[in-house]
Amino acid sequence: MSAKGTSSVSSQFLSEIIGKPVNVKLHSGMLYSGRLESIDGFMNVALSKVTEHYENGHNGLLRNYNTDVFLRGTQVMYISEV
Amino acid sequence: MSLETPLDLLKLNLDERVYVKLRGARELIGTLQAFDSHCNIVLSDAVETIYQLESGELKSTEKNSEMIFVRGDSVTLITTPPDDE
Repeated sequence: MSAKGTSSVSSQFLSEIIGKPVNVKLHSGMLYSGRLESIDGFMNVALSKVTEHYENGHNGLLRNYNTDVFLRGTQVMYISEV
Repeated sequence: MSLETPLDLLKLNLDERVYVKLRGARELIGTLQAFDSHCNIVLSDAVETIYQLESGELKSTEKNSEMIFVRGDSVTLITTPPDDE
């Protein structure tokens, strides 16, 4: 019962942050910041207006992506609302 | 147009040039022929760029493939290529 309760909190979080600015960290240490366009049950993520940094936003900007970016769910370490 | 799932984004890129970031400082640019839910992808006219540190200096080597199948587990990111391609 508690397991069901916590899973609804996490799926509720994931559905509530759609359209909001988020940070997505991958296992490689790359940090992607952008608007969350969509997310699925595998934690595959689509972001728009994306900036790429290493580890944190204070390390210099590596790249701007002008078009939508797909990130593979298995590589995702965390997703946080900015 | 709103995207239902992230994989729908890849569908829009079918037959278009895509930029694929792989594990281990590798990148691919090619024409997306096919993909599946594991992110297994097939690219045609692809260029693979491998970045390596050689005595503190960043070197890159390129390999061309007419057709390449990439196993999904090494894929980290897919988007359209940078403008300076």
